Amino acid sequence: MLKPGDSAPLFDLPCAFDGKLSHLNLDGIRSELVVLFFYPRDFSFICPTEVIGFHKAQPAFKAEHTSIVGVSVDDAESHRRWAHELGGVSYPLLADAGGRLAQAYGVFDEKESVALRATFVLDRARTVAYCVASPINVGRSVSETLRVVRAIRTGQLCPADWEPGGDFGPADHKF
Amino acid sequence: MAALNPAEKRRTFERLGSVREIVFGIQDGVLTTAGVLAGLSGAVSGRSQVILAALASTAAGALSMGAGAYLGTRAETQVMRNQLELVRRESASQPYVVQEELLAALAREGLSREAGYRIVKLLSRAPAALFSTAEQKLYGLSDAAFGNATVDGLLMGVAFLIGALVPLLPFVLISSVREGLTAGIATTAIVLFAVGYVFEGLLAGERAPIFAGFRFLAIALGAAAIGYFVGLLIAPIGAASVG
Repeated sequence: MLKPGDSAPLFDLPCAFDGKLSHLNLDGIRSELVVLFFYPRDFSFICPTEVIGFHKAQPAFKAEHTSIVGVSVDDAESHRRWAHELGGVSYPLLADAGGRLAQAYGVFDEKESVALRATFVLDRARTVAYCVASPINVGRSVSETLRVVRAIRTGQLCPADWEPGGDFGPADHKF
Repeated sequence: MAALNPAEKRRTFERLGSVREIVFGIQDGVLTTAGVLAGLSGAVSGRSQVILAALASTAAGALSMGAGAYLGTRAETQVMRNQLELVRRESASQPYVVQEELLAALAREGLSREAGYRIVKLLSRAPAALFSTAEQKLYGLSDAAFGNATVDGLLMGVAFLIGALVPLLPFVLISSVREGLTAGIATTAIVLFAVGYVFEGLLAGERAPIFAGFRFLAIALGAAAIGYFVGLLIAPIGAASVG
């Protein structure tokens, strides 16, 4: 699995967005930060809670100049139908057929041939600023991802459980 | 073509669940008693002694087998019900996991992921339907699968008794030990063949039920023959202790 400071592998993959099939590449994303979250499969019963969670929180991420991109090994048409099933998803779902992107990020489960529940926050230089992986049967926390995004955007040293409005530490302190 | 009546089919399956006790009981009753008759006929000279021993063996065997079947089914049912209860508690606390596992099971059986998802989603509207489907499909557990200890015990005991009478009656009715034993073994062979033919052949849907009958018979007669030869072997020990 990649770690903070690693360059984010580029991608140019089919995707479903806004009810249509399209293509998306990392270079084409102009936002300050990118939340790239991998999930195992479309049409499952844990993943939708995450996909919908990010969908509901999308305005808050947008306010933080952060794009959200979901990724699974399903094809783009499956993503389109899945997004429709969920009532619409306000960010692109990438089709990582074969799991090559998941492998590049080190979050591919070879046994199940799906991506792990992994979340990466990429900074402006498209290096990994934050990463976390959850067990396959435990959904991740969207609010924690948003908290981390907000903390990263301060550019300051944020203590544990920092929340917006909380005190910062000196930015030049590394540890 | 007759209309499928699920309730009738269910009753049929429940009745067929007793085949094990019937076959086991008859086979064991026939074999044990034939073995006792054959063994004692080789070891003991008095016909009445052989009959008494066979009767005692029959009574003890029927009671023991009946009690064993009752206790076995009761223990199995209690363990299985406990497991089912655990599964139900886990399912209630982790419905997502049950849904995912059921989805995976449907996918393994050939449904597309999307179709399976829709089925599980529909089932999830009624949690009882979701959990009972999951119990049956994922774990092979259901309330209907549990045996009835009393019925199993009675069936096993009665089947053993009936089986025991097969070699015993000719032996009692015919005054010559050798001829009685021969007749007993003959009726034993016929009944064992019939049990194999009916239960392992016809009811099991075998193409050639006659082979099932002979297979059953071969096992049974093999055991009886071994019992007889063991009796011949231990006869000198009996004679020495009497002398």
